[in-house]
Amino acid sequence: MQKQLTLSFSFTFFLCLTCLPIVWMFGNSIYEDGSFSFDYYRDILFTGRYVKIIANSLILASITTMLSALMGVSAGFFLAKTNLPLKSFFKICFFIPLIIPSYTIGIAWVNLLGKSGFLNTQLAHYLHLSSETISDFIYSTYGAAFILSINLFPVIMLVTEYSLKNLSPRFEESGLVTGSSFHVLRRITLPLITPAIISGIMIVFVLSLSEFGIPSLLQINVLTTQIFTQFSAFYNEKAATAIAFPLIVITIIIIIFEYIYLHGKSFEILGRKPARNSIQYHNKWLLVGGTIFFTFVLFICVFIPLLTLILNIRTLTSFHDAFLLAKKGIINSIQFSSIGATFLTFAGFLLGYLSEKVQFKLKNSTSTFIWIFFAVPATVIGIGLIKLYNRPGMFFQNVYGSLWIIIIGYMARFLPLSTRIQTNYLKQIPYSLEEAGSTTGATWFQVLGKIVFPLQFNGIIATWLICFIFCIGELGTTILVYPPGHETLPITLFTIMANSPDDIVSALSIIIVFMTLLPLGIFLSISRYITRITISVTS
Amino acid sequence: MQEKKATMHALEVKQLTKSFQGKEIVKGISLTVERGQLLALLGPSGCGKTTTLRMIAGLEIPDNGEIWIDGTIANRGNKILIPQKQRHIGMVFQDLALWPHMKVYENIEFGLSANKIPRAERKKKIEEVLNKVNMQKYSREYPGRLSGGQQQLIAIARAIVTEPKLLLMDEPLSNIDIRLREEIRQEIRRIQHETQITTVYVTQDQEDAFLLASKVAVMNKGIIEQTGTPEEIYNSPISPFIAHFIGESNMINIKVLGKDRVLTPWGELDCNTKGRSAGNAILFFRPHQAKIEKGGQYEGVIISRDFIGGVYRYHILTSGENILLEDNNFYESEHKVRFTFDKKEILPF
Repeated sequence: MQKQLTLSFSFTFFLCLTCLPIVWMFGNSIYEDGSFSFDYYRDILFTGRYVKIIANSLILASITTMLSALMGVSAGFFLAKTNLPLKSFFKICFFIPLIIPSYTIGIAWVNLLGKSGFLNTQLAHYLHLSSETISDFIYSTYGAAFILSINLFPVIMLVTEYSLKNLSPRFEESGLVTGSSFHVLRRITLPLITPAIISGIMIVFVLSLSEFGIPSLLQINVLTTQIFTQFSAFYNEKAATAIAFPLIVITIIIIIFEYIYLHGKSFEILGRKPARNSIQYHNKWLLVGGTIFFTFVLFICVFIPLLTLILNIRTLTSFHDAFLLAKKGIINSIQFSSIGATFLTFAGFLLGYLSEKVQFKLKNSTSTFIWIFFAVPATVIGIGLIKLYNRPGMFFQNVYGSLWIIIIGYMARFLPLSTRIQTNYLKQIPYSLEEAGSTTGATWFQVLGKIVFPLQFNGIIATWLICFIFCIGELGTTILVYPPGHETLPITLFTIMANSPDDIVSALSIIIVFMTLLPLGIFLSISRYITRITISVTS
Repeated sequence: MQEKKATMHALEVKQLTKSFQGKEIVKGISLTVERGQLLALLGPSGCGKTTTLRMIAGLEIPDNGEIWIDGTIANRGNKILIPQKQRHIGMVFQDLALWPHMKVYENIEFGLSANKIPRAERKKKIEEVLNKVNMQKYSREYPGRLSGGQQQLIAIARAIVTEPKLLLMDEPLSNIDIRLREEIRQEIRRIQHETQITTVYVTQDQEDAFLLASKVAVMNKGIIEQTGTPEEIYNSPISPFIAHFIGESNMINIKVLGKDRVLTPWGELDCNTKGRSAGNAILFFRPHQAKIEKGGQYEGVIISRDFIGGVYRYHILTSGENILLEDNNFYESEHKVRFTFDKKEILPF
């Protein structure tokens, strides 16, 4: 009974938090003056202007996905299948663009390739191009795709590396008996990990489709920026909702496609880490090529953008000024993100438990249903929350005018993510460990407290830190819902970007980068000391 | 109000059924276990034995049927009358499920503290049970540091420390090597004998079942085909499946001609047909139930010979049938021999 009540409550909580605002928002957009009307939708779907915006969004997502797949699959392969020098160093560095907010990389590249940027002048000089051509590139869909792929390629890299490392060596070894290693790679290894790579590609496509920060920074006309403009500039929330509609539909189609494609694909090859390592490639030219590729990616994705931001700052006074300007934002960000991460970890644990450990008819559909909401664009969530909470009544006004609306925004955005992380950790705890507890007469809470929580400890810490990092960088939802006096650091940065000197903007970007990388650094340093409990149950 | 019965078996299962995704896994099984008895539920993988055990433990909810524990009804159909945690059951899982983050002492203590046993009493009980399984010196170790056999004993200690009404064991020996298996089997027998805990032991290994259990229920495709002592199951199987599943066997297609008269590949024979009507049937005998002898009734040619330690096993071609015989003497292949049956059974076709 404890179990049913707690889990039902957590799922209802998820529905109210994530589902209800969106349903409410769409419901409102088709109901006007006491009758149903699809006027806004007709305008969106049948006017050339919006078709162009939809096409722009799809082009941005497609190019980003292609570039990310190219870089991610190659990097994942080199990490898993070769012994390149400094592999671990490269891997940690490649994490950085995924963790720091995309707009900080965007700001750096705009600084470099914008009209008076250092790289712009150099390229214009050596390639005999006009300065405008180069700056037009960075302010185009292609430029946005370039920056977004820097931000998102680590997703595909991680998926590729993980699946290659966890691929049972017996599949490759049985191929090696009859064929060369490259033949095995082409005919056996790659086909076996294709489902995992496709899954990574889908995630990147959906994330780039719903990205707000980069298109907004580069003034690219895509669906997410249009939603924001309609809402903030024209106060036309119904039109904003109607623009969000194709975005949601495309996202749902992609997730359903992914579900159908992956359904029944043999993922048993990606079970526990095999006892032996998968085969490695020691070809000399491959190692040389890999090292050059890694160095190139490192420069493009990490060194150049971070160095640009640091060099832009020039004096420590800029840091001081930036701190003064963003002091409140920094304090707010740390406070809100800590609260948000704590709630997210707790709720994610319960939902993860529900979708992984509880047997019921709609189990598989539930985890897919929860995951779908990760693809909902931040701006859509923001409008949904405003529609639902901005109304008379003490409860609503108390929430809407306080930090809690921001926390609810974080929850609505990242609950699917925290659920997914916890689910993956919970997968490693065999059912029998809990059953062994419950057969002794222990209650569900006792089993949870003494068996599941301790075994899930690493997962809980990891979830909290990842949620904290994501909350710190969150912009799309917060920018719509934050009450006066509750601005976070990303909002301060976005507000001052247009009319503050470059050094202050860069200093603020570096502060955000530092605040996101610090928890990661702490985690990496302490994770060695956290006793890793190997589940050495005889199987 | 709990429903109680006057005639009390330690465990009684009546017409239990369970389906998963429309497929019936357990098809109406019934069994009884007396106090202090060890019943082995023996069958091939996928026959429904673990599902049955999990329903008794309360880890699965049956679709139909009843489970009575110690004269009290635990469930009627899918209605749970005694929740799982109040059934006072100890269970040893196939993967043992020792909690890796707890030391041996804490693993055993968990069930006692969950049942609010005072600390001093807990300590006493844990010491006693560790003595019983001869594992006193490992109480402060983590399970991951113990050998496979030691982990087995700790899993048993954890299951019996709460003095359960019923001990359920789900193939606990399936993952350990043959030598250790024999040792642990002896330990299980000793512990069960000393504690007299009523036990249901699920296994697909005939040797485990025969050496440990006083009563064996053989399951196949969701039903219990035969229940009896190990001797009854081995010597008088009542179905071709059991004859084939338990040990080596010879099964030859024959025809029942009338009362105690059958037509075999060797001609007509007198044989106890156990009231079977005329029609197709199977003649069954074990390899050791026929012997090679000079004046034997039937003739055959040795096709091949295996030495299986102590005796030879011969594959003999006789009247178009291949049969297996065991004999202490050495005979060359392609040698003509004569043989007779000591004992034979007629099984349904």
